[in-house]
Amino acid sequence: MPPLEVILQQAFNGLMLGVMYALIAVGFTLFFGVLDVIHFSHGDIFTLGAFAGLSLTFLWAAVGIGNPAVALLLTFLGALVLTGLIGVAAERACVKPLAKAPPLMTLLATLSLGLVIREAILIFYPRGADPKPFPAMLPQGLFEIGGVVIRYENLAILAIAGVAMVLVDLIINRTRVGASMRAVAQDAEAAQMMGVNLNRTVDFTFFLGSALAAVAGILNGLYYSEIHFIMGIMGGIIGFSAAAIGGLGNVYGAILGGLLFGVLQTLAAAFIPRGSEFRDVVAFAVVMVFMVFKPTGILGEKTIERV
Amino acid sequence: MSLFATRGLTVRFGGLTAVDHVDAGVEEGETLGLIGPNGSGKTTFFNAVTGLVPATGEVVFRGAPLPGLEPHQICRRGIARTFQASRLCLGLSVFDNVLIGMHTHVRCGLLEALFRRARMLSEVRQALKQAAHLLSLFNADLVDRGFDPVGALPQIDRRRVEICRALAAQPRLLLLDEPSAGMSPEETVELMKDLQIVREEMPGLSIIIIEHDMFVIEGVSRRVVAFNYGRKIAEGTFAEVARNEEVREAYLGRGSGTEGSARA
Repeated sequence: MPPLEVILQQAFNGLMLGVMYALIAVGFTLFFGVLDVIHFSHGDIFTLGAFAGLSLTFLWAAVGIGNPAVALLLTFLGALVLTGLIGVAAERACVKPLAKAPPLMTLLATLSLGLVIREAILIFYPRGADPKPFPAMLPQGLFEIGGVVIRYENLAILAIAGVAMVLVDLIINRTRVGASMRAVAQDAEAAQMMGVNLNRTVDFTFFLGSALAAVAGILNGLYYSEIHFIMGIMGGIIGFSAAAIGGLGNVYGAILGGLLFGVLQTLAAAFIPRGSEFRDVVAFAVVMVFMVFKPTGILGEKTIERV
Repeated sequence: MSLFATRGLTVRFGGLTAVDHVDAGVEEGETLGLIGPNGSGKTTFFNAVTGLVPATGEVVFRGAPLPGLEPHQICRRGIARTFQASRLCLGLSVFDNVLIGMHTHVRCGLLEALFRRARMLSEVRQALKQAAHLLSLFNADLVDRGFDPVGALPQIDRRRVEICRALAAQPRLLLLDEPSAGMSPEETVELMKDLQIVREEMPGLSIIIIEHDMFVIEGVSRRVVAFNYGRKIAEGTFAEVARNEEVREAYLGRGSGTEGSARA
């Protein structure tokens, strides 16, 4: 049995990964909850968010915004809006036209769109095949508490992710557009008969989910100090798995699933012999176990009000 | 001029013509009965009018054409409906369900919610009062049970709440899709009385009601339209339509009178 502080340290590291997965998973679960679609290009929207953020940091540097806090805030806001709009465009192109088609068609269309996005970054971003260094914009330094090393940078990442999740919760539960989302999730036809604008609600859902993916993308860049055009493949698969373990359609489940996945990965890497090679094997094995024994996920979509 | 009229309204699902060139209309303050055997296109007619399924032909409501509008826009023009199978939010309270119907009339937004609580609260109170008034038209007990979840109510009260939800949107035209579905004969009689109260309280409201139960139709509507295979086969007073040869055939089959499977 490894010492407690080592376990805690690894759990904390897992939490870092977990919040990023959770942000991606919330997108998957929103799309599924509201519209019953699985949007498989969501992982590449996440990549796009990271690249949008990176490009914006260059822009701010070029126009002479020196203050790192201001630059960071503007990076987030800009990337959020840009990626959100791209998400809406993806929905209009690949999801809405196929609303009446078999679900398999939407799956294939979004999968293909993901490939297009990925290859477009590779081809059109300057030297797109190389990993891109992401500037460190968060406060550096660290402190130790009970043998666990905590970096200020990581605390900031947790805080940003936490704020994003709280905001999503408030939007869904406390705003008019959130009420529309819940109404469409429950019964789209009846919602329309009550005067809910279906198209606008669906657009907003994709804007929100994609903007969250952008947050995850930038946090990913800040955490690893580097981004790469293929990061969306793993990001998408893990985000989708996390949403599925949590219970597709349930926002809190997606957050829980993301955290669980991150912690599992890190603990597997740390405590299983040659674990770092097997961490994905372990994590995805857990996904398979869930699919067999609890296919509705931790917070099964039916038991708790979805979206 | 009539409040609402269709001309040549047609809905096709692939090769099947579910609604076939239907001309129908309703005057202000009138209740129109819509009858026909299962699968004759009554509900599809409602779906076409409310914009849920694409249709061809003309629909004029309050002097303006409806086709091309989104369902939520049609709702905001003043058409409300209920569904054959209840589509209430069973986990929410009676009041909440009725308030949902009012949400298009809510004026307060995020700013009021954050900074002008008093104004928003007064709007909520006003809405609650209106909801209580609507519910009391049907059943005073419903007001007392206003904070109970709808899922705890018997079928007839659920239907009442659903009609209240539709009325809460302050429609000019109310479409009722088989309100007596799944009810006992006693409950059906009660519901009919409720509809007559609504009729008296809201003299300007037009209603189109789909029913299998001829007894309900006879009680609430003076004019009746009969559908079969998507076509309008008869129109007139209840007595006229009930005597109509084609209607009898549609309901009872050819050479009727001898078959035991007759309904209505």
